Amino acid sequence: MADINRSSLHVITAPYEGEATKFDLPVDSEHRAKTLKIFSFAQPHMRSFHLAWISFFTCFVSTFAAAPLVPIIRDNLDLTRSDIGNAGVASVSGSIFSRLVMGVVCDLIGPRYGCAFVNLLTAPVVFSVAFVSSAQGYIAVRFMIGFSLATFVSCQYWTTIMFTSSILGTVNGIAGGWGDMGGGVTQLLMPFLYHMIKVSGATPFTAWRIAFFIPGWLHIIIGVMVLTLGQDLPDGNLSTLQKRGDVAKDKFSKVFKYAVTNYRTWIFFLLYGYSMGLQLCINNVIAEYFYDRFDLKLHTAGIVAATFGMTNFAARPLGGYTSDLAARKFGMRGRLWILWIVQTLGAVFCICLGRASSLPTAVASMILFSIGAQAACGATYGVIPFVSRRSLGLISGLTGAGGNFGGGLTTLVFFSTTRFSTANGLTFMGVMAVACTIPVAFIHFPQWGSMFLPPSKKGKYTEESYYSAEWNEDEKEKGLHHGSLKFAENSRSERGKRQEIAAAVTPPGYNSTPLHV
Amino acid sequence: MAIQGSFVASILLSYLVAACYGATFASLQDTLIVTGSPKAGQVLKGGEDNITVTWSLNTTFPAGTDSDYKTVKIKLCYAPISQQDRAWRKTEEELKKDKTCQHKIVEKPYSPSANTFTWTVQKDVPTATYFIRAYVHNSIDKEVAFGQTTDSHKATNLFEIQAISGRHVSLDIASICFSAFSVVSLFGFFFLEKRKAKAAQKS
Repeated sequence: MADINRSSLHVITAPYEGEATKFDLPVDSEHRAKTLKIFSFAQPHMRSFHLAWISFFTCFVSTFAAAPLVPIIRDNLDLTRSDIGNAGVASVSGSIFSRLVMGVVCDLIGPRYGCAFVNLLTAPVVFSVAFVSSAQGYIAVRFMIGFSLATFVSCQYWTTIMFTSSILGTVNGIAGGWGDMGGGVTQLLMPFLYHMIKVSGATPFTAWRIAFFIPGWLHIIIGVMVLTLGQDLPDGNLSTLQKRGDVAKDKFSKVFKYAVTNYRTWIFFLLYGYSMGLQLCINNVIAEYFYDRFDLKLHTAGIVAATFGMTNFAARPLGGYTSDLAARKFGMRGRLWILWIVQTLGAVFCICLGRASSLPTAVASMILFSIGAQAACGATYGVIPFVSRRSLGLISGLTGAGGNFGGGLTTLVFFSTTRFSTANGLTFMGVMAVACTIPVAFIHFPQWGSMFLPPSKKGKYTEESYYSAEWNEDEKEKGLHHGSLKFAENSRSERGKRQEIAAAVTPPGYNSTPLHV
Repeated sequence: MAIQGSFVASILLSYLVAACYGATFASLQDTLIVTGSPKAGQVLKGGEDNITVTWSLNTTFPAGTDSDYKTVKIKLCYAPISQQDRAWRKTEEELKKDKTCQHKIVEKPYSPSANTFTWTVQKDVPTATYFIRAYVHNSIDKEVAFGQTTDSHKATNLFEIQAISGRHVSLDIASICFSAFSVVSLFGFFFLEKRKAKAAQKS
């Protein structure tokens, strides 16, 4: 496989002489912001933050826009349960692939174009529901709209390069959570739009098509805003910085190798499928479930379903924050325990939701389930930045893809056939999630330990040895691994308060200035 | 006085219980003769074609059978073939949960003969195979009898309705215009910025 030269996240050089620091927020040596000012739109950090999460939010809105309107669409297009299930699977499977591609795209042309491309190319697909007249057309359109969930990667990528690593858990949790909220907002927005359009005179089978125009317009607006107002990196746009030589290039084949040969990547691929995957599944079936089982009006079913997605506003950031808190005292082992606890609890409440036969019990179980699953997503991305330094982007993308894979698989197995009623499908999905969360116990960091094991060989492995194992001797000689070493030093916080090993001890071979300079 | 009060209360309570207790389809008497204008296998168009329903009491039943009949609700019901793989149209014995008949044609006060009604198939009726059923309700709005255009197996005399597509030429055109705008903005921006970068490099 030919080595594709590929620029990476590591901005190494200092600002140019004569360039005064003109940032609105305090920054580190890479000009990444050290704080988050939520109500600011200042260039470049906060503006990028808001553009990133809003563009991801819009894609979530349109991917699940059909779900609350299924009771109308299934009559218009004469859909069977299999058709509806297959469309649900299709809506989340497209992005398995597109999330992987987006990682590469962000590296090549920057997250700004990544976001804009996806939004402005998804808009025509959303408008094309005006033409849909059969089950096949419906499945095809939902599949193509589903590609847009790739903006998860561009959103997290964009916030990662704008904010410093010590606050990344919280920043990524907020951006991810607020984006995911789109799945909840759409359950309220689409029935409301449908109702308004019907009231102004359209027939039901036309009204739902017109309702889709609003998410379409949102895509165009946010796409144009990203292009005109956004900026790739704190110092400017990617193409400008690449020409100046400020951004280093890594090899795709190496990054790929270190991502796929790390067993932790695949455990997270599975795990995320049963936290995010469950959410994607629920976004597709919950409104219809409440409408059919508890005989609610379409509007009311939409409100209940929306509550599920809306808890993302606080639950995902809470998961990231709890992970950070646990790490302060117990280090990485605390993070892993938090992840296991919240994800298992979420799955247990999913079982309760399936078994609930009264509306209040069902709603309560659903809310607790949503908090557990969404906090688990936040906690997952509290651990991911430490799995690898060199292949961070690709591992993030693979985990994200795993979320969609799990969601698609679960929808296919439990909600596409008449074999299980939706209620039983929910119960079995919860049981499967409990089982698939157990692998967290197998994630072991030699320098920090795992859920049940302490660090390997009583401190023989250090953070430096773990992260520099991703570079071979040639590359180390050229000094390419210095970014990883800097990160390793900063990651000593994952030891927690229990092991106070002197941070001042630097292992042999590590020099902050290369000898040949 | 107290005895009278509790007597009234118990009567009201029994009415309430009777009303709440779900009637089942098996408990209904098939006492109405219902005929619909569509012939077996005919395809009707939503929004355009008409259905004429006539109903009357089956006189072979003893007199007084209809003593508590108050209102008649005529409904359009799904045939078994249109219920396959569609749990939201499932037939249930308990009438409150039954989803076989989801489209109301008309509701009229009960009279034993000479009832007729012409209905234009509404635009929100989906494409499916149907029959027509009439439910008779008593004074507390509980189902007590029925009649339908098909047999007990719901196999004969079924007709089809072809729904409107919901598509409009104006919608198609609007869709194409906005899509074109979106794609043009994207590539326009992309090439404009590339040109600016090249020009900046040259200067």
